[in-house]
Amino acid sequence: MLEILIHGAVSSAIYAMLAVGFTLIFGVARILNLAHGSFYALGAYGAYFFTSHLKLPLLPAALLAMAVVALFAIVVEKVLVRPMRRSQLAVLMITLAVALVVEQALFLTFGSEYRNVPAFVDAKFSIGGVDVGGQRLLALGASIALIALLWIFIQRTRLGSAILAVSQDPEAADYMGIPSDRIFSIVMGLSAALAAAAGVLAGPFLTVQPTMWLLPIVKAFAIVIVGGLGSIPGSILAALMLGYAETIVGYLISTSWTEIVSVLATLLMLIFRPAGIFGKRAAF
Amino acid sequence: MSALLEVSALNKHFGGLHAVKDVSFSMAAAEIVGILGPNGAGKTTLYNLLTGFIPADSGSIVFNGRTLRGLAPYRIAGLGISRTFQLCRPFVGMTVLENVIVGGLGAQAGERGDLEARALALLEKVGLSGKEQLLVELLSYGDQRRLEIARALAARPALLLLDEPFAGLGSGEITDLSALIRSVHAEQGLTVMLIEHKLHEFMRLVGRVIALDFGEIIAEGSPEEIVRHPKVIEAYIGRGDEQAEEQADAA
Amino acid sequence: MFGKRIDYAGAVGFIVFMAALPLVFGGNYLIGVLTVSVIYGIWAVSWDFMSGLTGRENFGHSLFIGVGAYTAGFLNTAFGFGGWWSLPAAMVMAMLFAVIIGLPTLRLKGPYFALAMLSGAVIMQRLMLIFWEQTGGEEGINGIEPLIRSQLGFYYFALAALVLVTALLLALARSHWGLILRAIRGDEATCQAAGINVTFYKIASLVISAAFAGAGGAIYAHYQLQVSPQLFAVVTSITIITMVYVGGMASIYGPVGGAILLVLLTELLREFGEWRLMIYSCTLILILFFVPHGLIAPTWRRFRSKLRRAQ
Repeated sequence: MLEILIHGAVSSAIYAMLAVGFTLIFGVARILNLAHGSFYALGAYGAYFFTSHLKLPLLPAALLAMAVVALFAIVVEKVLVRPMRRSQLAVLMITLAVALVVEQALFLTFGSEYRNVPAFVDAKFSIGGVDVGGQRLLALGASIALIALLWIFIQRTRLGSAILAVSQDPEAADYMGIPSDRIFSIVMGLSAALAAAAGVLAGPFLTVQPTMWLLPIVKAFAIVIVGGLGSIPGSILAALMLGYAETIVGYLISTSWTEIVSVLATLLMLIFRPAGIFGKRAAF
Repeated sequence: MSALLEVSALNKHFGGLHAVKDVSFSMAAAEIVGILGPNGAGKTTLYNLLTGFIPADSGSIVFNGRTLRGLAPYRIAGLGISRTFQLCRPFVGMTVLENVIVGGLGAQAGERGDLEARALALLEKVGLSGKEQLLVELLSYGDQRRLEIARALAARPALLLLDEPFAGLGSGEITDLSALIRSVHAEQGLTVMLIEHKLHEFMRLVGRVIALDFGEIIAEGSPEEIVRHPKVIEAYIGRGDEQAEEQADAA
Repeated sequence: MFGKRIDYAGAVGFIVFMAALPLVFGGNYLIGVLTVSVIYGIWAVSWDFMSGLTGRENFGHSLFIGVGAYTAGFLNTAFGFGGWWSLPAAMVMAMLFAVIIGLPTLRLKGPYFALAMLSGAVIMQRLMLIFWEQTGGEEGINGIEPLIRSQLGFYYFALAALVLVTALLLALARSHWGLILRAIRGDEATCQAAGINVTFYKIASLVISAAFAGAGGAIYAHYQLQVSPQLFAVVTSITIITMVYVGGMASIYGPVGGAILLVLLTELLREFGEWRLMIYSCTLILILFFVPHGLIAPTWRRFRSKLRRAQ
């Protein structure tokens, strides 16, 4: 029981970090970013590269990885996505193409074998008789902290309220003199950094290889469908639901069936409540 | 004589906003009825309810003896109600002729006949001959308006709903277009409902006016009666004054 | 009329050219490459029919291909059905999947369909690996019987299938049906106002598209004599989309050229080995930016209007 509770919380936390960024950039800029999973993969590979090749200590390596990924995302948004923003489909195409380029670049530089991202914490902890890897606990704690920070940033700072304004009414925000292009860049960087952090934190206990971007993007999609496209609280709640549903199915039936959970959740949601649990309709 | 369209106690809420409130009216065949009201009075919402684009909360809509509530927009269109949109929404990426042909494709299969010949005739009627093979994106705004009407007529409607057909047109174009509406009305006995802000042409075109304000019908009658109706004057002039004051303040 | 005659002449010229290629140059290697290019042609054309015409992009066409191929593999190896049963069975299974995904997603506005297709393909690939006892896992299904023993014969069969599918979809695309699909791309609300059941047309065209993708998958299975989960990969879908973009979206015939051109080019790029997919992805980005209307269909149109003027 306790095992399910803890492991469910860990996977929920990782999912939430991915889904919040995915839904945020959609809510603000209407960019459905299929390269979001690539930021996660790049985060994990970045931590691996900076520690094993540049011999940096882990914490600076992790921060550097996040910064580099954020910068990369900003460049992608500016150079590739922005000229295409008029067409939703072109954005999907271009971001998918970017994802593939990243995958191939990782494959060509690092090969297809699994890479080891060092853990911050190697110790195992025993909580109520359940052994839990320290890195998993750290991932849980760090993701809660990061999402909370993001939430405070959006709710409490001037820049945050500008982001909210753009997401609620881009035209009105434009009249108020909020530079929406700069907001897009910032949000793209933030959501990419969050995804990279997920990669850094989950890298030690997940498989790090070039195609690792794909499944997370599918999960993030399922989560934002359940939570409602563009809604941050919705995606956090949905991440919890999916994380726990998968863990429970994994324990009770078999881990083979966990993948089916997200598919079923997505399909059922689309059929019965396409607007998501909070009923907030996508604004287009 | 039974009415072509019978609307009763129609309601629609958007969140806390009561966009259409207990609206009841009827239309006889071959009438031209105008819907009048300031911005946000619920005119376009009323159109969306009639054509099924938005589901009504309560009330009933009966057209030609069939109840429309709950039907999908394409079913309602298939029963003979055509509409135009406030902002032109042509089929981009297609030629002018193709646009009109598609307009006729939704009608019952038996009536399809020679779609292309009919489309060409309609284009000539609305004054777009010679432009059949142009891509719609290349049309001027006024021509797009005419195309909207040709497209709507291609479905052989019994009732045509026009949403601000004169918006953005010059006075010469308005005269042409209202002559066109009059002629299809006269030739085919088409029933027309019209939303318009260009009051001058509007009042000359319509036989009867329904005035809306805050989603409610505030007056109904001939154009002469309506312009003298105190509630209509208040809805228009009253708020017009405020606007004038605001503008004065801003200046 | 003259324009139509040029089109027919072009089609006949293309068929004769493709049929003559292996006779002139010979060699099983070339025949193999051509067979693969023709099968990709079927996939690209079927993608274009739904996604090119309606503008609803399908990021998981590989789902239908994989379903078709696995259906063929199962029927042939596990149940001992003769190879020719594969084609109709693969089509039916792919259509079934099209309905399951299309029904909930295509009635919605927004990117749900594109994402659901992508997810569907990814999940199917995972399932093939997870339930390896039934599906053969990474190895897939081996020992599928060939449809036609002679390699050249099989190539002609695949070419005939491509010609048939293209002719059929081209005819549909140029009929009122195609006009409606293009109108859906133009504006869905106006379509509804014109009395067109938009959801029906979108789902029906997805089902048609899936049927031919599935058939192509079955043909591929009987060519490779094995199927693997790699068929479901996103890369397969992206390759097909790139072919359509190179050929010219919504032209139906263009993607045939795009498929053949890209398969032949990749053969020439074989020495780049690992770089092949990278080159593909970058090509796609470049095309999206600089020639969004594609190369082949626009070139053909220009050529045609030149001939017309010359006449």
